Amino acid sequence: MKLLKKTSRTYFIISASAFIVAGVIIYFVVSFILEEELNENLRSDIKSISRTIEKDKSIPHYYPFVEVKKVNWQSPGPYRVIDTLIFDKKEKEEIPFRQISSVKSIQGETYLIVVRDALIEKSDLLMIIGIAIGLVFVLLNITLYLINRKLSLEIWKPFYNTLDKLKKFSPDDPVFNLTEESEIDEFTEMRNTLESLTSKVISDYQSLKRFSEDASHEIQTPLAVIQSKLETLVQYPDLTNDQAELIKSAYTSVQRISKLTQTLLLLTKIGNYQFPEKVQVNLTDLLEEKVNLFEDHIKSKSLIIEKEIEPGFFLETNFFLAESMLMNLIGNAVKHSGKNGIIIIRLLNNSLEISNSGSPLSVPSEKIFERFFKADILTGSHGLGLAIVKEICKLNKWEVTYLYLNDQHKFIVQF
Amino acid sequence: MKILIIEDEKDLVETMKNYLGSEGFLCEKATSWFEAEDSLSVYNYDIIILDLTLPGGDGLDLIKLIKERNKDAGLLIVSAKNSIDDKIKGLDMGADDYISKPFHLAELNSRIKSLARRRHYEGSNEIVFNEIKINVESNEVSVNGEKLDLTKKEYEILLYFMVNKNKLITRESIAEHAWGDSISYADNFDFVYSHIKNLRKKIGQKKGKNYLHNFYGIGYKFSD
Repeated sequence: MKLLKKTSRTYFIISASAFIVAGVIIYFVVSFILEEELNENLRSDIKSISRTIEKDKSIPHYYPFVEVKKVNWQSPGPYRVIDTLIFDKKEKEEIPFRQISSVKSIQGETYLIVVRDALIEKSDLLMIIGIAIGLVFVLLNITLYLINRKLSLEIWKPFYNTLDKLKKFSPDDPVFNLTEESEIDEFTEMRNTLESLTSKVISDYQSLKRFSEDASHEIQTPLAVIQSKLETLVQYPDLTNDQAELIKSAYTSVQRISKLTQTLLLLTKIGNYQFPEKVQVNLTDLLEEKVNLFEDHIKSKSLIIEKEIEPGFFLETNFFLAESMLMNLIGNAVKHSGKNGIIIIRLLNNSLEISNSGSPLSVPSEKIFERFFKADILTGSHGLGLAIVKEICKLNKWEVTYLYLNDQHKFIVQF
Repeated sequence: MKILIIEDEKDLVETMKNYLGSEGFLCEKATSWFEAEDSLSVYNYDIIILDLTLPGGDGLDLIKLIKERNKDAGLLIVSAKNSIDDKIKGLDMGADDYISKPFHLAELNSRIKSLARRRHYEGSNEIVFNEIKINVESNEVSVNGEKLDLTKKEYEILLYFMVNKNKLITRESIAEHAWGDSISYADNFDFVYSHIKNLRKKIGQKKGKNYLHNFYGIGYKFSD
């Protein structure tokens, strides 16, 4: 539920209850005051009627408002107040009246003076109060809604700005900062808290990345020692076959770690934006050149290469990364096609497609760009090549997709 | 031929010294920035191998020093940072070649020899092993005086073997030397074997002896 809706609803519910209570109180107070006023008037009417009788000797009679009777058998007494119903001929209904009667002795005569006045009908009073309160209530809620809306547009603006920024937050972003300070303390506090949170996330992420970079660097030197020692060891003339076998497998493993750390280092560097220099890369030539590097691979597996390469296709990007992406895509296609397989290379209409024949993946295809993803167990495959392709495309805002169509694994890069 | 190896990893520096020593180079080592500075101010070297990540100072600064004090020396940069930046910076500042860690000793040796050849011209553009002769200037190979037609890869492999003669060279080292990065996408070393087989066959056709010996499946040795 939106904040505006929620506050409006709360205001509505609370003010509605308050107005109902207020309405009841007003009703009772008003009817009490009105009755008091009525009684007061009626009493003073009795007094003025008494005076009229005394002065004019005439007995006034206005039914149903004033009735005076001579009642000499009664002795004077106090006011009697009762409510009574009197049939109104015009309106053809019974109307409630307040009646006050009093027995008075005026100049030796005893009179019963009855005065009446119509009471305001309870339902009428209720309706009037209800309408008045209802109007005020509607007016109040409209005003509140308008104030609320204005507030949420103006005062909440920094909040929504911050929210928008946060939605786009990525620890990768080198220039992330939140919006300018707001004049509202709560928002400033929230912004400050978020800023310290995001800067912590960014710095943790950066140090993690620096760590992988440093670790990869540090691993290279001991690896160089191991590799050179093994290469020296195999120079000894009287190695037995068993010893040689041990050296060989140790050596192969060193090579694998070395490739792996180099590749991880590359991935980290791409993530760290360490390839900022951009040039106009002739992708057509670069692609042809890289395909030629695989000439022997292609020959030894008897692969068929179908090329459709647009001449003079230029791309503004980092040369090394473009090279690396092509090597990984072509290398991947070569590696994963079986003997006599078909590789299709297309560079047309601002997109590059490199595909190779093969049976479908046994694992979900979304995983293909994940680090250490291996579709099959091939020696020497570290499962990072496509992750590198993905990173390079992400960095350059190119779109890379994988699909399996007509027995072909297709990788399409949309520039 | 005198070489200065500037490298802080003592284990590695010893192995490099021994390997290059057995190839007839006179090697000295410096394991820190200051030692390197000392050696450079006192002696002259033909070739300097410099590790860019040195304790005590930036390796790139040392290049300036080398260029001041020993400007005729061939300079090979070694770095654990397989970084393009360092490579470009180093080469811009006058380094002759760049090799990244971990490297194959045979590759290091081949780079050093090529540097040495470029430095000292007298007769050094020919590499001879018995009846096989390579002219590195014209890229021509002859066996018993007869010209041998080789593909580019076969030529590179033969040259690699001949500069590392009598040493066991691993398959990985040969493959990386001839095929570069693309080799990591191969399922196996089949085409390394087939190139070596062809090389043997071509040399045999010109009545050359078979000097290429397989050792334990680890690699090959080019020897009598």
